[in-house]
Parts: sequence; C-alpha cells; structure tokens
Amino acid sequence: MALFEFGLPELGEGLHEGRISKWLVKPGDQIQEDDAVAEIENDKSLVELPSPVSGKIAEIKVPEGTTCVVGDIILTIEVEGDAPAAAPPQQQSAPEAATAQAQPAPVSTQPVAGATTTAQSAAQQVLATPGVRRYAREAGVDIRAVQGTGNNGKVTKEDIDRAKSGAQPTPVEASTSVDSAPTTQGAVSVTGDEVEERVPLPMIRQAIARAMVKSKYTAPHVTLMDEVDVTELVKLRKEIKPIAEQRGVKITYLPFIVKALIAALRTKPQLNSTYDEEKQELILKHYYHIGIATDTDRGLLVPVVRHADKKNMWTIAEEINDLATRGRAGKLTPAEMRGSTISITNIGSAGGMFFTPIINYPEVAILGVGRITEKPVIRNGEFAVGQMMSLSLSFDHRVIDGALGQQFVNDIKRMLENPRLLLLEV
Amino acid sequence: MVVGDMLEEVEVLVIGAGPGGYVAAIRAAQLGKSVTIVDKAELGGVCLNRGCIPSKALISAAHHYEAAKESPFPGVETTAALDFAKVQAWKQSVVDKMTGGVQQLMKGNRINVISGEAFFTKPNEVRIMHENGSQRIQFQQCILATGSRPIELKNLPLGKRVIDSTGALALDHVPNRLVVVGGGYIGIELGQTFAKFGSQVTIIEGLDSILALFDKQMVRLVERNLKKYNVEIETNALAQSVEETDDAVKLTYKNKAGEEKTIEADYILVTVGRRPNTDDLGLADAGIELTEKGLVKVDAQCRTTNPNVYAIGDIVPGAALAHKASYEGKVAAEAIAGKPSIVDYRCIPSVVFSDPEMASVGLSEEEAKKQYGDIAVGRFPYAANGRATALNADAGFIKLIANKENGVLVGAQVVGIEASNLIAELGLAIEMSATLEDIALTIHAHPTLGEMVMEAAEVGLGEPIHIITR
Repeated sequence: MALFEFGLPELGEGLHEGRISKWLVKPGDQIQEDDAVAEIENDKSLVELPSPVSGKIAEIKVPEGTTCVVGDIILTIEVEGDAPAAAPPQQQSAPEAATAQAQPAPVSTQPVAGATTTAQSAAQQVLATPGVRRYAREAGVDIRAVQGTGNNGKVTKEDIDRAKSGAQPTPVEASTSVDSAPTTQGAVSVTGDEVEERVPLPMIRQAIARAMVKSKYTAPHVTLMDEVDVTELVKLRKEIKPIAEQRGVKITYLPFIVKALIAALRTKPQLNSTYDEEKQELILKHYYHIGIATDTDRGLLVPVVRHADKKNMWTIAEEINDLATRGRAGKLTPAEMRGSTISITNIGSAGGMFFTPIINYPEVAILGVGRITEKPVIRNGEFAVGQMMSLSLSFDHRVIDGALGQQFVNDIKRMLENPRLLLLEV
Repeated sequence: MVVGDMLEEVEVLVIGAGPGGYVAAIRAAQLGKSVTIVDKAELGGVCLNRGCIPSKALISAAHHYEAAKESPFPGVETTAALDFAKVQAWKQSVVDKMTGGVQQLMKGNRINVISGEAFFTKPNEVRIMHENGSQRIQFQQCILATGSRPIELKNLPLGKRVIDSTGALALDHVPNRLVVVGGGYIGIELGQTFAKFGSQVTIIEGLDSILALFDKQMVRLVERNLKKYNVEIETNALAQSVEETDDAVKLTYKNKAGEEKTIEADYILVTVGRRPNTDDLGLADAGIELTEKGLVKVDAQCRTTNPNVYAIGDIVPGAALAHKASYEGKVAAEAIAGKPSIVDYRCIPSVVFSDPEMASVGLSEEEAKKQYGDIAVGRFPYAANGRATALNADAGFIKLIANKENGVLVGAQVVGIEASNLIAELGLAIEMSATLEDIALTIHAHPTLGEMVMEAAEVGLGEPIHIITR
C-alpha cells in the first residue's frame, strides 16, 4: 500500500485555479481510475475531476468551497503497490523538451518577457511579509491590487482571501474596531431597519464581469437596430419541423441566422476580425467560428460552433442544442468556449426585441436577435400580416463605420427575408 | 577513450554544484523530481572550496593568533607561535567536512552526481567531458549554476608569484611581503588576514577609497585597524606591469600623483572582481541569451530565453553572493515543479569579514533619502553597549534607516564585532515591514550586542536610553 497525493491538475489551457464546488467521494470510498471525485468550478465552467488512480480515498485535504491552485494537494488515495509519481502540472509556457528529442528542439527566440506569464516581484512596492507574498502568488492574486488593512497599509493573508473572493476590503477604523470586524462571506449587516447582505460572486460571474468591462471600455460600441420580415422563413421552418422531428433534431431559427450571418461575412470580412491595437492592424479571420450566447443558472456562457461555414444546418442545429444542454449542466470544456470569431445573442427567447448587445471582445461585432412578432406590413400596396424579427447589431466603431455596419445588416436581412437565397450558400 | 554516443535522459539537470546549484538540486528532489547534478570540480563550488568557507577559517585563525600575540585583555598575558602548515591542514579539514556534508545531502536526496564539464550541444542536451571520456545527457529541465571566477588582468598574468584568491588561500607559508591589487572585500579580507599572520601588506586600489561601495564612516574603522598592522594603502593607483623573478616579484604602478612607482614583494594577489562563467558553455546554441555584461537574461522565475533552462547565482544580474544564489536556486526548482515562486525579496544582506566586520542590508542613507525624501536615522555606538565594552571590542556602530512617514525600516548598516550576525535580525525586520517602534518595543536580552539594535531604533524615534542626543 502506498499513498498517492492527488494534486489539482491543470483543468485546461491557461486555467491555473479552480474551486472545489462539491466532493463526490468521502474517506473510505473505493474508487476506480477515471471515477469522478469532485466537481471543480473555474471561471469558465463546472467540470468533474476524474481520479488518475484506483484505490481507497484516504483523506480529503480541502473543504468544499475552497479555491485551489494547480498543484495543490486536494486528496490522498491509498493505492496498491508503489504510488505513481503525482505528475506535477507542466508549465504551460515550458514545452516538454522530451517530446522534441528526435528533431532539434525548437529554440525560443522570444524575449524573456514573452517567454512566460510570471508576475514580477512586488516586494519593493507593497508592504507584506514574505509569507503573505507567497500566499498571494499561490492564490493567483496580484498583491499590488490588494488594499492592505494592516499597519501602514500592510497586506495580510485575510486581505488576500477577501481580494480573491471579490469582497471589498473593509478598512478597520481603530475607534470602532470592536464592532466592525472584517466582512466575511455571506455576512449580513443590519443598520436600523436596513438589512444588507454580502454575497461572494462565483468565479464564472467574476469572469463575466471582467469580460464585460474589458469589452465596453475598450471597444466604442455602436448598435444598429432593424426589423426584417421573416414570413417566408417562418413558413419554411413549419414545413421542416415534422422532418426534423423524424430525425430527432429540434430546429430553431438559429441555424438559419448562423448561415445568413456567414453569407454576409463572406462579403464583409472586416466584421469577422480582431483589432490588434498595438500594431494597428486588423486580423481578418478566414474561418467562421460562431459564438452562441447561452443563458445558464451560473451565468452567461458563449460556446462555439467551429467552422460553421463547413457544416450543414442539421449539424449546426444539433451542435447548438448539444452545446446549450451541456452548458446548462456545467459540462462544457474551456476549449469549447474559446476562439469564436463573431457571436450571436438571442434575447427573443426571453421575449425581448431591441437591445444593445455587448461585443464578445476581442471580436468586433455581435448580432442580437429579438422575438418574431406579427405586425401589419404593406406589400405591393396592400396591408398584410408580416412576421417581423428584430435585429440589433453592435460593432466596434474603431474599425467598422456605420454605413458598412448597415450594409452588413442589409445582407443578413436579405437572406432571412428570402431563405431560398440560403440555398446558394450551402 | 571516448565513450560513443551513449545518450542518457534526465528529468532535471543542474550544472554547477556550488551553493546555488546544490540547493536547487535538493529543493527539486524534495518536490519529487529526479535530479542529476554535474560539476567540473568539487561539490560545494567556489564557496565551500576556494571562497567563503576556507577564507573564514583563515580569518578566524589569524584573529586568534593576533590576540595571542598581543592580548586585548589587560592582565591576560599570552605568547604566540604560528605553525602555518597546521593552520592550512585544519582549514582543509573544515572544507572537507562541509563538502562531505554536501555529498551526504546529495545521497540522502537521491541526487545523481556526475563529475565533468558540461557543454550545450542542443537546447535540451549537453555533452559532459570527463577525465576518461564524455557522455551526452538530454534533460527536460535544466538549472544553470556555473558561478564565477576571479578576473585576470592582461597586464598582471597569473604566475608563480602573481596569484588570485584561490592561490592566496592555498599558500603554504606566510609571505614576508604581499601586495594586494584591488581593495574590494576579497582583497581586504585576505590582505588583513595575512597582515595579522605577519606579512607586510600593501593594497593598491584604483578608486579613491578601499571598499568603495560601503558607507565611508564604516570604512574608516577598517582603515584605522589596517593602519595598526602597518598595511599601506595606495588609492587612485593603477597597476601597470609585473616582473617575476625566482624569489620575488616587482609591480610597477602609477600612484595618485601620476608618478611611476615600483614595489617588490613575495607575492602579488590580484583581487579586482569576478566574472561570470558563461563562456565555453555553448549557451548561444541552446538559445540562451546573455546581457552585454555576459550575464544570463532571466525572468522573475530565473527562466532564461530557453524556456526549459533556468539560471541562478553569479551568472545572472544582481550581487554575486552565495546566499542570493541559494535563494534563486530554490525559486528555479519550485518553478520547475509548477509552483508560482518568483524572486521576491525586499533586501539581501551583504557582509565583509574585515576587522571590524561590516554588514549592510536594504537601502543606504543616501538611497533612502532619494526614495522616501524624509527619513529617520537611528545610530547607536558600540562604545555605549555593555557587552561590546566587556568584549573589549567597542569600536563600531549600528545605523537604522526608516521611512519617516510611517517608521517602516528600509535599511541598516553595522560595523563592529559580530556585525555579520547582527545583520540577520535587521534583514528579517525589513522583510516583515517592521517599524522602528516595533523594534524598540521588542525586548532584547541584556547584556548582548543585539541590544544595540533596539537602542538604535529608540534613537531613531528620538527616545534613546543609553546615549544623550541634543
């Protein structure tokens, strides 16, 4: 018998920490290799953590709710024979040399600063003991951004904990220190008849907040709103529905919108791009990864339909359904939520019409889709009932002007008004 | 015999077994890595074999010999005799004990030790040359810790009578006349030691003061002591050439006034600094870039421009100090094990084992003024300390420097007996962001030299007990 120390593995590229949201095992449990031992929440998703070995759970090292850094020992497992070496996580920036043994290994010519994501020492700028400085590094907290509550603004371990949970530091006034103890998670405070509660934000919510601020403060947004008569499209979908049911696929309007969007992107490639501000260059993407904004209990997720231009609508429909289902269950991998080149967000499913969507930065545009409403329209001089869909396109005005944006919307409208045109895009 | 192309694969390869390399190897092994360490000479590097440790042994012996020759305690009558060969044998036993200890540590941590000289042939491969052949080693991660060596001056080539610090430590007799070129800390430590053993010593220094990097007030105490042993100091002097004969050596130099002078000696000791061992390693072929000064470029985790190679100690920027190398070695090993460790210190102490000893940590008074504007300085003399007086060693002072705004200690200097040990508390105080008040309110045992730290803090706060300030 030997004891295997299970260190938190890297949960995905660039993911250095995660919160143990729930333990699925308890000490004494027998487990097989690949059995899930815990649910881990990070800023992208909720994932089940498989055990790398078979054996008996010896000890759970961290309680539920703890945020751990990659490499932290979270669990020990009694295994038969010698304990396999707990493979420490490979540094993302240090490619494994052994894999390159046959050929001459590529020599990194990057400047040192680019070779790593390591933080620089803050020892000279911040008052904190060496132990607290290490604690901050291990917690993934930039100590420079932490407001210290100790003497002379000295940063304490508690300050790091607070910074990590997203709570505001509570400077303790000397005169009132007795009753103004630092705020703890979920603390309720009562002043007269005013009751306030502090709720720590889950990591996903924190990530959403950061992403929204980054986008809104970086890209000057312009939103164009327009209506499109989708009577034909509604008819077409009705015709397809029974066929779809036979195939076991739920067909929504989204696959059509994805195809219309791609058709428009082909003629206006500037909308499928990223702006490299440093080099003042536009990076045009000659592939079409479509982000689909998805509402979940834990917050907004944007899973990606990759190479949507090369997939038919059946496949796209199936993929969107699958991504949405797994997104709501917290089973998406971080890789499935990265790399989109433009995104679609649908407020119509919640009953909304026009809105000002925030771009999924560093993309440069996002298409907002509203509900379809019956409205009176005039066709060939006669009143008729039209099925009107509302569209809201937000774009980054640094690189895209209003006229181009509207022409892009017009392209999309043309396709959705006359879905037969989509045939030419297959 | 050349052993063909045996290629061995190792997880972590450490090149250089000095105080940086062997510490890095141990930490990496502790973190579960399989480690191989290679050194072209002895375990322990320059520090244990030809630097810190043997020089401290000779300094202690010289100190005791001097005290026996001329007892510092009235009423204690002594006579002295010197058997220098025995002194050297004892020094070697000290070295052997320390390197033996390192060997045990390597064994205890299951670190594979190879004796040989490493040379990069690829970004992830080295060739190791040893006495009877060579071998190739491919590594996943490597820590470079090759240290430094004394600078050799072109016009003063090393020879039988022109020696560097390694040669001086190995002398089998006490020279009658010794000329030291370079009045830095190594030159002063060794020059003063041989002066105590009885050599007539002359120090030739290019700048306008010996120990130019230290506080003038501190250096003055060392100069006073050197004068006691008739050590002559020529500042602003430039060594020009040497002429070696069988039983003597002549040095020609230009003095302060620009006159050409000649001085004859048994040995000329050249201590003009150290240079990093970054040549002859094939670093360029491994994608490891150097600065203009020949130091290895590294990031905060000691990672070089080759992402699988780390570098620590004298070959990277910063002071060339054993304790800095050890610290960096731990950072590099932890980085390799995936920990978020970085080089993250507020201060590094530096110590000179002159007589009296000098030690400094953090900012000097001038540096602190520049950085914080308003500073508080607390200076306390050894002469006002009971223990120092009872040791009959009351020359010296402690100086604490704090940011006046909040009283946080930012620097400290000590000159006097045991300065090398007193500085430890002050380094801790700076790392802990302690204030003068914190130090003053901490009880220090009586009667000790350490009390002076507390008293200096009180001086800085304007409330000293044992001295009068106006």
